[in-house]
Amino acid sequence: MSAVARANRLTPYMFLAPATVVLVFALLYPIGYMVYASFLDWSPSQRIGEADFIGLRNYANLLTDAAFLESFWVTIKFAAVVVTLEMIIGVGLALLLDRNIRGMSLLRTIFILPMMIAPIVVGLMWRYMYHPTVGIFNRTIKNLGFEQGIPWLSDSTWSFIAVVIADVWQWTPFIFILALAAMQSLPRSALEAAEIDGANEWQKIVLIKIPLMMPVLIVTLLLRLIDAFKVLEVIMVLTNGGPGLSTEIVALRIFRTAQEFQELGEAAAMSNLLLIMLMALTIGMFMYTKIQEARTARMLKAAQAEDE
Amino acid sequence: MLNTIKKVGAGVTALTLSTTLALANPYEEYAGETLVVNFPAHPHFDAVMKVLPEFTKETGIRVEVDQLQYLKMREKQTLELTKNKGDYDLIAYVVFSKADYVYADQLENLAKYFMNPKLADPGYDAGDLIDGYVGNIGVAGGRKGYLPGPTGSLFGIPFGSETSILGYRQDIFDKHGLEVPTNYEELLDVACKIPELEPGMGGLASRAASGHHASHAFLLHLAPLGGRIFDDNWNPIVNNEAGVKAAEALKTIVDCGAEGAETFGFAEAGASFLQGNSAMFLDSTVFAGQVNNPSKSKVVGKVAWAPHPVGTRAGSQTGGFGIGIPGNAQNKDAAFLLMQWLTSKNADKMIAIAGGNPSRFSTHADPEVLAVHPHLKVFGEALKNADPDWRPIIPVWGKINADIGTSLSKVLTEDADIQEALDGVAARARDIMEGAGYYTWN
Repeated sequence: MSAVARANRLTPYMFLAPATVVLVFALLYPIGYMVYASFLDWSPSQRIGEADFIGLRNYANLLTDAAFLESFWVTIKFAAVVVTLEMIIGVGLALLLDRNIRGMSLLRTIFILPMMIAPIVVGLMWRYMYHPTVGIFNRTIKNLGFEQGIPWLSDSTWSFIAVVIADVWQWTPFIFILALAAMQSLPRSALEAAEIDGANEWQKIVLIKIPLMMPVLIVTLLLRLIDAFKVLEVIMVLTNGGPGLSTEIVALRIFRTAQEFQELGEAAAMSNLLLIMLMALTIGMFMYTKIQEARTARMLKAAQAEDE
Repeated sequence: MLNTIKKVGAGVTALTLSTTLALANPYEEYAGETLVVNFPAHPHFDAVMKVLPEFTKETGIRVEVDQLQYLKMREKQTLELTKNKGDYDLIAYVVFSKADYVYADQLENLAKYFMNPKLADPGYDAGDLIDGYVGNIGVAGGRKGYLPGPTGSLFGIPFGSETSILGYRQDIFDKHGLEVPTNYEELLDVACKIPELEPGMGGLASRAASGHHASHAFLLHLAPLGGRIFDDNWNPIVNNEAGVKAAEALKTIVDCGAEGAETFGFAEAGASFLQGNSAMFLDSTVFAGQVNNPSKSKVVGKVAWAPHPVGTRAGSQTGGFGIGIPGNAQNKDAAFLLMQWLTSKNADKMIAIAGGNPSRFSTHADPEVLAVHPHLKVFGEALKNADPDWRPIIPVWGKINADIGTSLSKVLTEDADIQEALDGVAARARDIMEGAGYYTWN
């Protein structure tokens, strides 16, 4: 191989090198640091070099830590409930508003306002709305003649419902906006063909729109799931994990472990477990999408073969 | 010739005098230096900021204050104290930081400064400092490792410390002929009588929210009711009879409290009292500053104060802040002079008048201070029973504290069995203590 050919072959890598170096340092270094920290008995009063190396003890402790396991279960429950509700309401709203109505752009702007508010503010806002005496919900309930208000933040079941409502209120617009964008970019020809074939509105939604939107919906679902697993501020302000541990999600447990308990190694181990879980979830979702795409391609191919 | 001798003589005399005068001013050597101090955003330190210019005027030492929100302050100190050369010459710290900082050798032992005749003010009168506060926030290395004792040393001085006090609505008590509670039986009785006498009003506003707040409220009653978290050998005894009594007391207080009392943190409990929704308030003295502020309070002029009621013993909480010199400070001697000045009788008085928390018994009895803040007289009485050991100051306390708080939250909100909840706390506390090496010598 000539020198020129060799240089030509290396050129793309040389162009990629700066970006790769930046990526490695910006992305992998912090993760590597966190993985290393999870093997240490490290308090904030120490430099990382002074901390004792304890191998997998932090992970072993976590697997028998009832509070951590409970927070993991609360997180899974919370993520499943909020993402399901947000998907149903968000996609439903998008289906409802996918038409030319006057004032539509204003309506859309109003719909996406909640996700523009800082989570801390959302938490505080809902905290006052849930207030037992001066909150709007309990005042309304009492004005309607009921003697007792709802113990929004002082009962474990109601607290969970309270944080779910706040999250759904803030993040449904995210699903709505992506679903609406996906819907508006659907090929009109497919919908027109369905109309010609006599499909009604419901059939068009179930058989045409949703399947065609599926790749976007899966990515949206994934993004929301990842976010729901990491939610912190709203719950911290609303319930601080209580009553008991009924709303203590993993992100809050990690924060408290690092901040209140001063156990940075254990907090890092918790973060790594959460990261592994989210990575498994992401890989699983992408594999599912690939399988779905392959199946659709096979079906199309079979249909084409039949036509021929 | 004689004139010359006279002139030289006069010159020497003048020089000697000026040198003598210079030596008489312990601050002169440090005049012109700038000290960097780290204080929290807190009412006491807001009062300190008003008084600090006096120090510069008196000593010529400038002070630059980095005043941060409490959690931010702790985070910043954590980073600062691990550096070889720190930016801070003097820091304020909360009592739990004492355990961490002293254990990591990050705070100066103050003995060498008080031994230095050039630095130590003979008129300082350390005996006048509130001993409960000194034991709680200043001393480490004695009994249990965090208390005074034959092996203890001084690492900080209380500055912005707090104790617990009972605030009550004088008008409501007078209206119904209620006696001010002096013991726990009376306290619980009055707390539950008030909602009957004043429908819609809670008895005693208390913290109860899950986590630190519920734990704090429980501990507030545990010490006077004769309990402790651990015995002297670190065995958890939180689930003994006294522990159960303290949890029952808290449950009664919350049940007879204002609506939604189970969710109250310190701010909500305070607001309930200030808005006239509760007739009593039993918590930190730092709250007192807001009671007669018309922009925050609807009960201006209606509140009186009494010492923390007595159980099987008198014991009010100790907490708040102290000040210490970081081991990596750049101007340690000058920092000590500032520390000594800030905690002197004179500055303590000035800060108290400006709205801060005094750290000396004499300030609580000073007529000029009492003319501005009459409630400090009762606070001074309460401080005689300030208990430096009302909660353990050990590095693993955060985890145990959170567990107590979440377990008691279940008691308060879900009617979980008190004995079972405390047995669970004791078992988990034992595991945590075991992991931290507290039973190595057993």
